[in-house]
Amino acid sequence: MTLLRVAQAALFLTALSKGADYVGSEACKTCHAPLFNQFFRNPHYQSISSGKEPPENTGCESCHGPGKAHIDAHGGKATIIAFSEIGPEKTLDACLRCHSQTLSRANIRRSVHTQEDVVCTNCHSIHNSKAPKFLLAKKQTELCYSCHASVKAQFSMPFKHRVNEGVVECTDCHNPHGTFAASWRMASRPRMVDQKEGNEEPCLKCHGDKRGPFVYEHASVRIDGCETCHMPHGSTNPKMLKRPTIFTVCLECHNGAGTFGIGNNGVFHLSAAHNMADPRYQNCTTCHARIHGSNADPLFFR
Amino acid sequence: MRQFFLFMLCSLALAQPPVAPTNEQTGALRGDNSGNYNIINSFELGYRFASVGGNGGMYDSTVNYGDGIRLLSSSLTVQSRDGHGKLFDHLLITTQGLGNDPYQSAILRIEKNRLYRYDMMWRLTEYVDPAATISFGEHAMDTTRRMQDHDLTLFPVSPFKLFLGYSRNLETGPALSTIQLFNSQGDEFPLFSNVHREVNEYRLGGEVRLLGMRLNVMHGWEDFKEDSPQSLLAPSAGNNPTDRNTLTSFQSTQPYHGTSPYWRVGLFREGKKLWAVNGRFTYVAGKRAFALDEVSAGTDFRGTPTQLQVVTQGSADRPALTSNLTISIFPATHVVLTNQTSFSNIRMIGDSFFTEISNGSVVSPTLPFQYLGIQTFANTTDAMFHPTKWFSFHGGFEYSDRHINSVQGQSDLGSPAPSQSPFEQSNQLKAGTLGFRLKPIKPLTISVDGEVGRANHPIYPISDGNYQSFRARAEYKMKLFRVGAYAKSDYNINSDVLTSFASHARQYGADGSWVPLSWFSIDASYTKLHLNTLGGINYFSQGVDVSGESSYYVSNIHSANLGARFTLLKRADIYAGYSHVQDVGDGRATPYGAGLYSALPAFQAAQTFPLRYLSPQVRLSIRITPKLRWNTGYQYYGYREQFSAAQDYRANTGFSSLAFSF
Repeated sequence: MTLLRVAQAALFLTALSKGADYVGSEACKTCHAPLFNQFFRNPHYQSISSGKEPPENTGCESCHGPGKAHIDAHGGKATIIAFSEIGPEKTLDACLRCHSQTLSRANIRRSVHTQEDVVCTNCHSIHNSKAPKFLLAKKQTELCYSCHASVKAQFSMPFKHRVNEGVVECTDCHNPHGTFAASWRMASRPRMVDQKEGNEEPCLKCHGDKRGPFVYEHASVRIDGCETCHMPHGSTNPKMLKRPTIFTVCLECHNGAGTFGIGNNGVFHLSAAHNMADPRYQNCTTCHARIHGSNADPLFFR
Repeated sequence: MRQFFLFMLCSLALAQPPVAPTNEQTGALRGDNSGNYNIINSFELGYRFASVGGNGGMYDSTVNYGDGIRLLSSSLTVQSRDGHGKLFDHLLITTQGLGNDPYQSAILRIEKNRLYRYDMMWRLTEYVDPAATISFGEHAMDTTRRMQDHDLTLFPVSPFKLFLGYSRNLETGPALSTIQLFNSQGDEFPLFSNVHREVNEYRLGGEVRLLGMRLNVMHGWEDFKEDSPQSLLAPSAGNNPTDRNTLTSFQSTQPYHGTSPYWRVGLFREGKKLWAVNGRFTYVAGKRAFALDEVSAGTDFRGTPTQLQVVTQGSADRPALTSNLTISIFPATHVVLTNQTSFSNIRMIGDSFFTEISNGSVVSPTLPFQYLGIQTFANTTDAMFHPTKWFSFHGGFEYSDRHINSVQGQSDLGSPAPSQSPFEQSNQLKAGTLGFRLKPIKPLTISVDGEVGRANHPIYPISDGNYQSFRARAEYKMKLFRVGAYAKSDYNINSDVLTSFASHARQYGADGSWVPLSWFSIDASYTKLHLNTLGGINYFSQGVDVSGESSYYVSNIHSANLGARFTLLKRADIYAGYSHVQDVGDGRATPYGAGLYSALPAFQAAQTFPLRYLSPQVRLSIRITPKLRWNTGYQYYGYREQFSAAQDYRANTGFSSLAFSF
């Protein structure tokens, strides 16, 4: 096994060196006919059909390295770059040799997936893709659920974004290849959440009416983001709120306790007119109807 | 047979999708050749039915499938066989739910190698929300959202690329809302709202390769407009008929339009030699103008006839600038060090002319204004080390500093705005991460990660203060068998002199899939989601200031999925699935109880919300010919709250369809 790894490493390092023995993809067809015959469906087939790429960027050998030694040895994983053997680090390097050109993959080196050794071939199946786009190994939601079981549970809740129903995809909000630091929540978390063009929360891609700007912003929306009140995957509560009733959502912040809030003087305490024993005052948004922001009223009445 | 096994595995790990469309393959995977193209085409056409008992509004809000003929799904792939198609080399069209399903989508991709690539996605979602527990059901919504995204890339693999894009997001439909009139002793009145919100976004950009770097520039314009007039359908005594407030007429128009032009510039270099770098700069100049004209008539709390007109107009700006610089260096084999520095500056500036005309008298026209500025600087360093194939670890440190400024006030018309010192708040966060991954044998992967963070001035009691997050996961994966288990905890403690907040979230779960026989496969998952939050609350009850109480919310959600698939006589496929979500709350039998952190019954009842939501399904798919299948299925949905039956429902849904391929 050690010898195999040494051979793999040596092969990988020398694969792109000048003068390596490239034989062309047609030679691979002899033994790998089923793969070769379906390869015209693969986006990588462009490297063959163009006829303009150098050998190291053409067809099978663009990923698997020069094939002469493999043919001379009548096959074997030690004589070719076999992705089942080279490990996640080299797999990432191999794919990024061509696939680093996209800004959406600019943060792949620091992404949580990479840190967890979840690299390209964990999600993409180059030769046996079951998804219509991006050579995904499975349908996108199934792929993500296979590791993110708790998220799968959240999307089984009564109130959720319609991911299981097929109209919303994980990548509508997340970038599995890593993201730039968020502009909300101290730029710290969440780490794999994609951003709208202007580095705003992805929620605003669809919920544009919540974006503002408003004359009177509900500061929590801008500072800590929508997750302050909502659970974006799914919840047992209407409107995917964190709590089943609205007044508990509000009162956990609006309790007037010091050191919090913009002035360190607490978040607005309720006025004495709010008799919380009366159900009327337990439905905060009945009066504060424009809770995400208002242009006419600092208390979000209209 | 190998393909069959792979297909079976791919069919597993589903999280109980709706019973239709089916997943069974129709027709040959290899397609048919026509000229220089290979074509794979299939579609599933059928009838879906639903019968609902109980609260139909809640069913619509959580499921919403109805009766009717549907093109449940379709797929067309046309692929040139030599990569030299005349107009295109690849064409892909997929659809789902067309016909009147509440969730419909269509995807189109067409591309000619090296010349262009066009992607389109169209989606429709019916959104229904009775909002019964949010605002007495007076904020119900029944809207439709239609979204479309178009992206054209010219010369997609050349050193110079061009990008053009267009997106449209339209939300329309009826909704209810409320307004509080005529003063602080007034009442709340239900209103009808005709929602019309529209976003149109246009994008133009390019990318060029220069000196080993790539420069990516994108310019876009996002136009937003909302015209959702509100009106009163019938004279109303308000939510509190015992008082003397009434509303006899109401009309409000409040157009809200604006454009947010933006720039995004990215510069990046990749290539694992010694270093990689990328930078991004974005600027959005958001501006929206608004006007509100609201006319109402009725009686105030004294029973005095009142006419009120509120007129507001103005604009609000939100320029937002962000920049990021990421540098990765590879000092030795198997070592990657990455540092990202980011800065964001968001300012919100708004002013509006506001005037009230009450019974013909103008009441103090004012010019309110608000300024909210958020500046955040963050720096993160991550290190990854892969000493062997079976062991790797990573660690990181993050420092971020956020400064918030806020000014809010108003001035009389014609007078200069009174000088006000801004409210300010600064918060520094320091967080460290550490994790490792073990792969002692090829099928087994174990990963453990932790993060500990300390913020010195969290802005809200529920914000991240002293938090710690740990996660462990193990997975054993073979070709036809997979089992995994995980545990995760997120704790946050945010105490203060007058209040305390502690949040404890723990998640445990296990899932697995197995294909023991060529005609039988099974998958199952279980997750326990525990959450408890304890937060100090302070409120007024009948004029008395109540302090020292706590809000203690407990949720214990058990979520399980089970799916089994059988193939009989190589002709019939049967899928049986079951999904069960149950929040057992804190275990109490009644919503109220003494000693539950608050003396107020409403608070006691709000601290836990036990419910059950389950959905079994079964589906049969029979291959009639190699290119034709008949499918039928049944799915039950049951929703039941433990403390109230008002929102419970039971729904029997199903479908019958034919799936063709040609």
